[in-house]
Amino acid sequence: MDKVKVNMFVNGKPVSLEVKPYARLLDVLREDLGLTGTKEGCGVGECGACTVIVDGETVNTCLTLAASMDGKHITTIEGLMENEKLHPIQEAFIKHNALQCGFCTPGLIMSAKALLDSNPNPSTEQIKVAISGNLCRCTGYEQVVDAIKEVAEKSK
Amino acid sequence: MADSSITRVDVLAKALGKAKYTDDLKFDNMLYLKVVRCPHPHARVIGINKEKALAIEGVVAVLTATDIPGLPCQPKERPILVPEIARYAGDGVALVVAESPKAALEGAEAVRVEYELLEAVFDPEEALKTGAPLVHGDNNVAAQSKVCKGDVEAGFKEADLILEREYNTHRVEHAPIEPEVAIAVPTFEGITVYCPTNSPFQVRQIVAETMAMPQSQIRLFQPTIGGSFGSKCYDAGVLASRAALAAKLTGRPCKIVYTREESIVESTKRHPYKMKYKVGVKKNGKLTAMEVKIIGDSGAYKSKTPFVISRSSIEATGPYVVPNVHTEAICVYTNNVTSCAMRGFGSPQVAYASELLMDELAEKLGIDPLKFRRINGLKDNSLSATGQVMQNVTLDECLDKLEQEIKWSSRKAELKQQDKTGSIVKGLGLACMYRGESFGSAGQGSDYAGATLQVQRDGSITLYSAMSEVGQGGHTMLVRVVSEVLGIKPSRIFVSPVDTCYVPDSGPTVATRGTYVIGNAIRLAAEEVKAKFAEVAAEELGVRPEELVFKDERIYCPGDPSKSISFSRIAAQCYLKSKSPYGYGWWSPPVGSWDREKGQGEAYSSYVYGACAAEVELDLDLGKVEVMKFVAVHDVGKALDKEEVKGQIAGGVSMGIGYALMEDLVVRQGVVKTVNFDEYLLPTSLDIHEIIPVIVEQPSSYGPLGAKGLGEPVMSAVAPAILNAIADALGTRVYDLPANLEAVLDKARAAKGRCCND
Amino acid sequence: MMRFNYFRPASVKEACKLLNQHQSEAKVIAGGTDLMVQVRDEDKKLAGMKTVIDVSHINELRYIQEEGNVIRIGAIVTHDQIFRSPILKSAAPLLPEACNTVGSPQIRHRGTIGGSICNASPAADPVPALVALNAEVKLESVRGERVVPMVDIFEKPYKTNIGADELLTEISFKRLSDASKTAFIKLGRRKALAIARMNVAVVLELDDQGIVTEARIAPGSVLPRPGRVSEAEEVLIGQKPTAELIELASKKVSAVMIERSGVRWSTPYKEPVIAVLTRRALNQALGVE
Repeated sequence: MDKVKVNMFVNGKPVSLEVKPYARLLDVLREDLGLTGTKEGCGVGECGACTVIVDGETVNTCLTLAASMDGKHITTIEGLMENEKLHPIQEAFIKHNALQCGFCTPGLIMSAKALLDSNPNPSTEQIKVAISGNLCRCTGYEQVVDAIKEVAEKSK
Repeated sequence: MADSSITRVDVLAKALGKAKYTDDLKFDNMLYLKVVRCPHPHARVIGINKEKALAIEGVVAVLTATDIPGLPCQPKERPILVPEIARYAGDGVALVVAESPKAALEGAEAVRVEYELLEAVFDPEEALKTGAPLVHGDNNVAAQSKVCKGDVEAGFKEADLILEREYNTHRVEHAPIEPEVAIAVPTFEGITVYCPTNSPFQVRQIVAETMAMPQSQIRLFQPTIGGSFGSKCYDAGVLASRAALAAKLTGRPCKIVYTREESIVESTKRHPYKMKYKVGVKKNGKLTAMEVKIIGDSGAYKSKTPFVISRSSIEATGPYVVPNVHTEAICVYTNNVTSCAMRGFGSPQVAYASELLMDELAEKLGIDPLKFRRINGLKDNSLSATGQVMQNVTLDECLDKLEQEIKWSSRKAELKQQDKTGSIVKGLGLACMYRGESFGSAGQGSDYAGATLQVQRDGSITLYSAMSEVGQGGHTMLVRVVSEVLGIKPSRIFVSPVDTCYVPDSGPTVATRGTYVIGNAIRLAAEEVKAKFAEVAAEELGVRPEELVFKDERIYCPGDPSKSISFSRIAAQCYLKSKSPYGYGWWSPPVGSWDREKGQGEAYSSYVYGACAAEVELDLDLGKVEVMKFVAVHDVGKALDKEEVKGQIAGGVSMGIGYALMEDLVVRQGVVKTVNFDEYLLPTSLDIHEIIPVIVEQPSSYGPLGAKGLGEPVMSAVAPAILNAIADALGTRVYDLPANLEAVLDKARAAKGRCCND
Repeated sequence: MMRFNYFRPASVKEACKLLNQHQSEAKVIAGGTDLMVQVRDEDKKLAGMKTVIDVSHINELRYIQEEGNVIRIGAIVTHDQIFRSPILKSAAPLLPEACNTVGSPQIRHRGTIGGSICNASPAADPVPALVALNAEVKLESVRGERVVPMVDIFEKPYKTNIGADELLTEISFKRLSDASKTAFIKLGRRKALAIARMNVAVVLELDDQGIVTEARIAPGSVLPRPGRVSEAEEVLIGQKPTAELIELASKKVSAVMIERSGVRWSTPYKEPVIAVLTRRALNQALGVE
């Protein structure tokens, strides 16, 4: 089982790693890069707690081989703050109480970000679709939708 | 309120992805554990062959029950590792300790366990029969509880209508998104365990008993908790003990983290109930008598079953005046996965049955279902099923607000006019709930909480309690109480992480007792600080302590603006003058009299009330139900934070929608079939539509600042409101949960068949 | 715990060479949304797997194009890319609709059309749509290439007859005429992250007189192998699609389901409901409510 060389960009920085051929992107982020904001809730792509953005699109890192990430740009929750300032989505989540236990929150925020990056003016339905791959057991999603809506409206 | 818009204390780290959950923690030289589980529902362990596992590179040890220095388990409780008999397909038999998670997994697969299969029993009614395989003891009875008031036979004689119905609720999973995890680190003094549990002192006790060590040598540290809903109590104790055992024996930090599949197979669930109700009612709608028989499935071990069943028996009639009551509840051991506490703790099942029953009675009598609840609902000075004189009853206020919000009568009338010839029909239904706060007098164990405040030299404050922040905003609630009592900004207060080395025992964060019991303890602590500070300030200002007011970060005489001093200044003065800047609070709820034989007395010192309505859209041809609108009215005493109240309600409603329609933990012959989230279905964002939280604020006479607990009550009325709405749409009833595609279609087709034959 | 080697070929040629070399010890991975779950579960299907060949970097397989009236889709095009394709929206609207019901956004961003076919799940959402489009698949290997009707590659649930050395590289079908009417309906237990309880895709063509000249009805999750239900289609062909005929055709689908799949625990539910879904799909295609 030879290790596989992967050159990728994580939160804007180039990262060069040798990974096990069967290593999941989730484990490489959490273990090798110490980016523990990305969580594992099910391991089968259902809960979305492990969501990150790869080349502008959300993916479940539990279903992604790290080896396949060569040349990709990856954004995790840790890459959202700029100049020590909260990202507007993070601010809105806090304001709207859109998180309780917080375990699903990084994944939800990544889904929200990918949506707003590609569609700054989503409808409520589009917001709900965008977060439909992120299970939240605490909030019932209402305040999550409110938070994302507010960010969209503010950017108008 | 001091500052109603304060930010919750735990959320910033969470939103940044910087909050450290247990699995995010790393220790040098750490080992990883994997559990070898019995795949059979009932089996005797004959032999465990570790050889192959030990030969795998990276496997350090294979531990079994004989390695446990203390108790492998309390009587009838789930063992840390099975000493001899495995009682469900999921019982842990051995523990593989390895250098990497992969080696641990491979080691676990290589452990060979020889079993003698024992006859198993899966149905609680079967388990009660003579000759049934015995799970524990000589009759499989896990717990019983009774409530007897008046004379039911006489009551039934008075009745104009008697209805008998059976309801079945199913087994469901807590499903916090963070699976179970624990890390144990051996130290010179003892063992430190990192574990997301909402019962830190109980988990510590279990670890101490397993390890035969003094409790004080076990240090339980609570990292950020990724949700619980009742699942991270005993289950966490088992995990923590396994980690502690391995850490002690290897001398190295040990981590145990479950996959979702392991979590679902092993962890405890909500009790499934079969409930038989017989009820008598007069033509005018007045209830005369109710006879309730409940049989619950405790699964393989006892756990919190006795307390769950006692709550169920107390609340079985719903929030109604029933002059004659006879409730018998029994929970039975089977070789199924264990049942334990889950959000609602015995309330949701009986709320489900009693509210479906009320609806059907109203229908039979031709009385509007909301009016029917008013006729029978508890009011101030009503006698409850346990003979308690009820005070501060807000059921009518809840019904008033519900009626207004959903425009009950006009919406009902509109729906009556709807075209029912197509495949889509709408229905509107309601349900009420009440629930005793905290453990109560009926014996869910002694109820107490300690909490401490230390004002630092600079006027900042450290708050110590065992309140577990499971996402409900518990820490923030404590901060609010302190900020209110001391008239200071919440930002002054830092909540210490829960560490059993330092924080006082506040009891577990369960049973809707966080706000009620721990909130009161911290209030007392803050009042102690206030009294001490008033003394010091009075001396400084040359006034009497009673004249002083604590407000806006200052301590002053309202009559004389010149007599004013800042809170921080007094903090510094305390240290300067060698005066104590500590506050300590210990609170326990009033305990009423309780007659266990009859189930009569003051079951709980305080109750919460709620009323909910659901509007559903039903596809008659597919059996598909969507909850288009849900109005949830709850008496919260005092809303310490409206956004948080909204979040608790929306979360509870969403969980209730799952309970009503799609969640279903399938167990066949003792083996769990729905082991991950592709089969155990939680509602997604697209399954949840409009949720409207409505708050009633009737200050509690006991809660801190008048607040009442909310986390659990929000679950209770959801499923029955939805099922009543389905009945309204269908014209016939689904009695058993869940109302999934198959169940609803079946009823819809039967109803259609009837109407075509007419 | 499965361990395997990893190859990331940059071309179809290279991939075929690798497949030829490793034969049945190799599995192809593209989006990984199915394979990674099977790896986790140590699915029997993967017994003997020692190598995965990652085709997600073969850029020559990422296209949606039209040649003449034939639509060609490269095998590693994702569900999301299909959903967003303007060509497909006009040429075969039921396919983007079907792909948009797969799993969740995260799954649709990674999961590929080729992977969905090769996984051969009876509940795959794009498959009935492709069946109704009479899609063909291109299989390449060092031995050459072959193009076969897609339905012919399915043997049984989760099993195809694609050779161990073959790579599915392209899906193609004829653009639907402007007169075509289509629909895709999925029923799940929840509205996202749902495995189809059942689904159905239909394509109808009507002449100027309103007579059905072509009917293709492809239900999912009800037949042992994906396919059309000609018995139901024949009810409509040559007729004006009246409510009675649509009902008759729909009921044929349930009858055929029982004929081909037998009676199971799920039959009491599926039997009436697949007829309802078919009826609705036909009505939706025809614009009848």
